[in-house]
Amino acid sequence: MNATQASIADLAKRTRRAAKYRDENRRPWTFWVLVALFAAYVLALYGPMLCIYVLSFQDLRGGLVFPMKGLSLHWFVDLFTQVRTGDVKGGFERSIILAILVTVLTVVGSFMAGLAFRRRFRGDGIVFYLMIGSLVAPGLVLGIGIGLLFQYFGLTASWYTSALGAQLSWTLPFGVLVMFAVMSRFDRAWEEAARDLGASRWQIIRMIVIPILAPGIVAVALFGFTLSYDEFSRTLQTSGPLNTLPLEIWSMTLNVTSPSLYALGTVTTLASFLIIGVCLGAIAVMQKRRSNQSGSQQ
Amino acid sequence: MSERIDTKKVTTAVDGEVAAPEGVDGTRRSILKGAAAVAGVAGAQAITGFPLIWSQEIKNIELRHVGVSYSVVKAIGDQASKDLGFKVTMQNLDTSASINRFVTQPNTVDIADVEGWQAKLATKRGVLQGIERKKIKEFENILPIFTKGELSGKVVSRQGISPYEAMYISKPDATELHEGVTDWCTFLPQVYNADSIGYRPDLIKKPITEWKELINPEYKGKAAILDVPAIGIMDAALCFESAGEIKYGNKGNMTKSEIDFTINRLIELKKAGHFRATWTTFDQSVQLMAAGEVIIQSMWSPAVAAVRVKGIPCVYAPVNIKNGKEGYRGWCNGMALMKHLSGKKLDAAYEYLNWYLSGWQGGFVARYGYYSPVPSTAKKFLSANEWDYWYEGKPAKEAILDPYGVAMEKAGAKRDGGSFVERVTNISCWNTLMDEAQYMNKRWNDFKVA
Amino acid sequence: MSSSADISRPKPARGNIASWFYVSPLVLVLVPFFVVPILVVLVASFLENDAYGGIVANFTLANYASVFTSALTWKLYLSTIKFAVMTWVLSLGIGFWIAYFLVFHVRNQLLAIGLFLLCTVPFWTSNIIRMISWIPLLGKNGLVNSALMATGVIDQPLEFLLFSDFAVVVAYAHQLTIFMIVPIFNAMSRIDKRTLEAARDAGASRLDIMRHIVVPLSRNGIALGSIFVLSIVMGDFFVVKVMSGGGSASVVSALFEDIAVLQYPPAAAAAVVLLLVVVVMIALILRTVDVRKELAR
Repeated sequence: MNATQASIADLAKRTRRAAKYRDENRRPWTFWVLVALFAAYVLALYGPMLCIYVLSFQDLRGGLVFPMKGLSLHWFVDLFTQVRTGDVKGGFERSIILAILVTVLTVVGSFMAGLAFRRRFRGDGIVFYLMIGSLVAPGLVLGIGIGLLFQYFGLTASWYTSALGAQLSWTLPFGVLVMFAVMSRFDRAWEEAARDLGASRWQIIRMIVIPILAPGIVAVALFGFTLSYDEFSRTLQTSGPLNTLPLEIWSMTLNVTSPSLYALGTVTTLASFLIIGVCLGAIAVMQKRRSNQSGSQQ
Repeated sequence: MSERIDTKKVTTAVDGEVAAPEGVDGTRRSILKGAAAVAGVAGAQAITGFPLIWSQEIKNIELRHVGVSYSVVKAIGDQASKDLGFKVTMQNLDTSASINRFVTQPNTVDIADVEGWQAKLATKRGVLQGIERKKIKEFENILPIFTKGELSGKVVSRQGISPYEAMYISKPDATELHEGVTDWCTFLPQVYNADSIGYRPDLIKKPITEWKELINPEYKGKAAILDVPAIGIMDAALCFESAGEIKYGNKGNMTKSEIDFTINRLIELKKAGHFRATWTTFDQSVQLMAAGEVIIQSMWSPAVAAVRVKGIPCVYAPVNIKNGKEGYRGWCNGMALMKHLSGKKLDAAYEYLNWYLSGWQGGFVARYGYYSPVPSTAKKFLSANEWDYWYEGKPAKEAILDPYGVAMEKAGAKRDGGSFVERVTNISCWNTLMDEAQYMNKRWNDFKVA
Repeated sequence: MSSSADISRPKPARGNIASWFYVSPLVLVLVPFFVVPILVVLVASFLENDAYGGIVANFTLANYASVFTSALTWKLYLSTIKFAVMTWVLSLGIGFWIAYFLVFHVRNQLLAIGLFLLCTVPFWTSNIIRMISWIPLLGKNGLVNSALMATGVIDQPLEFLLFSDFAVVVAYAHQLTIFMIVPIFNAMSRIDKRTLEAARDAGASRLDIMRHIVVPLSRNGIALGSIFVLSIVMGDFFVVKVMSGGGSASVVSALFEDIAVLQYPPAAAAAVVLLLVVVVMIALILRTVDVRKELAR
């Protein structure tokens, strides 16, 4: 066939394809593949968790592996009353508080740093590469260095001072990089429009920049929390006289490790599901109310 | 015996969990059940042993005891706080993190838990102060293997860094060790043991008494050693020496060529698939044995006990010295005083050291399978049955319970390796820091990446 | 689009001060907790050690010489980089599609957030606990082997599931895929859905859309996730230690052994070299996607 016929045939093919997608309710076969992949991922993610949940219900004789021994709440009680070795409860409390502190400071610090880097300023290259360096420096060695410094200046290392700083030196680069990526899509035109309408700088930040960047901020908070809660190598030498949870558990592995760790995993999972369920439920209710209101306003 | 049964004198149980056992016949079972009750008696004894007059002044003192989780146990710290009137907080770190902390942040630690070789290191770095021998009440009752380097006439092995070698300094702020007894100590032994091989008697039909069985090709793919360079290499050395492949000058301080030989043989074995794993955590060693993934491996005594608690047979091979070969690998953890302690805090520290050796701790760790360096005081806190089982190597007349009351051994069971005297006099080498440590680490990593 | 006039206009001096004010928290953390300690480490790497944890104030290059001339260093880096690349491939392969699914296929936004949070809940349980729980999952008596044997797929438990390179990569991927998903999710959610609609209306196939629109616009996220995954794996030591059953070592796990016997100068030298190597790796990634240039237009 000649060129015209070929191009008409091609156009027809593309139009058919477009028409197929116009039917919004039809799911392509790839959707089901992706659902399967997602399900497999979640299953793989929760695989170890499953072992934790099941094994946390063993009785006094229980160990860390299958076969399961008995059925009781013994290890949950032990978790809160601490009969066995290890200060799991104290470590957990300190880790949570530290993680929250780190999260808040990381969000604020990365957000501000993101704002700073929006234009070139003198020394921005140095700060940027120092930040990258801090990201990749081996935590073990850095921790010793920080400990030495505190000793030299006569300061006492502790989990809320030296460990906080050490963890921030790890989470801030993560946060700032995420902020970079998020802010680079941020259209300045909106800011300019707001400025033209007479908004102050603070108002612009509060009412335009933050809401639009909210997903990025949430991502930074998530990273900050996860990185801090699990942080081990930098905290090892900077935690001072009291251990955070990862340190405490690691030290316990030199001895018989008790399934109260598993009980802790089960409890934190239940708590997280509860919190998430409540938050999402609240959002759903608010959304419904808002749509009802706007519906009734019509 | 009868004074222990008369627990009616104790009105408050120390732990609060277990009420004072009733019954004048005072069955041993009720005493076994209440380690707390027994401690209650001793606690009363301990408290009256210390001067009351200054207990008011020391109420605000807090001693920070830092070390590994099998020697610095929270329960011991809690008991000490109750008995002594001031606070003792325990912090657990792994072996390498501890020594780093003592050396780089000495002001954050009060009582350091050190292995023998770590005491040598810490002394050289000048972060410790000497412990005055005269102030330690039970010093003469400490086993002479530590204080004099011999027991019943037998000289204890000096391969590696023995506690005796690491123990004495000429003056309180010396940075070099002194060979021979002096008035100043670097550390006080606190918990020790003699390690050997663990194996599954149901899967290995013959009794194991020699280290060379660990590298026996018959057990290819089912053996394991542990992943700490200085310890793993000594276990390996014991194997090769036992197999007659090489004779070491000092297994605890090897020359470069000895290190090369050992590591190259290890690499050969690894490439031939002999090792199922090199284990890193305590539970890993328990898991490997209990699941049958390995049937013979270097193990720690409490790990063997943990396997047996699961109802799976596991034996701790008695590897007594014979023909100039074999022998256990010994280790000893002890308490050291940090240099910055002074005044009231130093006094409190000495009270703590004395309390530590007065027996409660000894009874507590015995049930893990660890020995106390002052057996005479530990004996007061163990029932006769437990003493016979744990220390004398005699068969148990009743079930043996672990520190938390779970039955671990049935009546009639015998502890592997015989009495503790037999075990410690058969120690062939001690945990160590070699002169060629840097080279050894490098070669160990060669083994790991092979 | 932002006004291109920004570039040609001379910077007001006020801009410098404002930027420095904004970047001050970052700098206040970096200086005492990174710059000064790393300088201490750098100095230590040029000094001799006295085999008992002490540092002798003699300048020497011996530490660096031993790092660069030993075959062990190359083997360690090879081993660590091998793990890093395998983890990167796995986490990217899975993470990209999970993010794509959540952004483009899940219609209800609340549901998307809920599913996303579902993926984050395991991370509220400490990493070490999850590490310990691999044994009851992958061990010979573990869930996976038991399930496979019960359904008759195999009749002997699989040994390679635990204490092997496989186990190490699985543990890393398990821990780090979320670090891929989040940046890619962020990047994809910024793609204007109308662009996709327009492309579809023009008759582009889904493959074309993927190749020409989605992937290029998520480049930022992919690069960011890669940086995160790479730097964490290169700096890790205890996942390798625990999951490989001692069969493998990484650069930092070798460092750990030196520190355990207080051999500070060699450990410092190895740390400095590692730092430089990984910074170079990241700089290379940043070259493909210049995050800073995109930001400060």
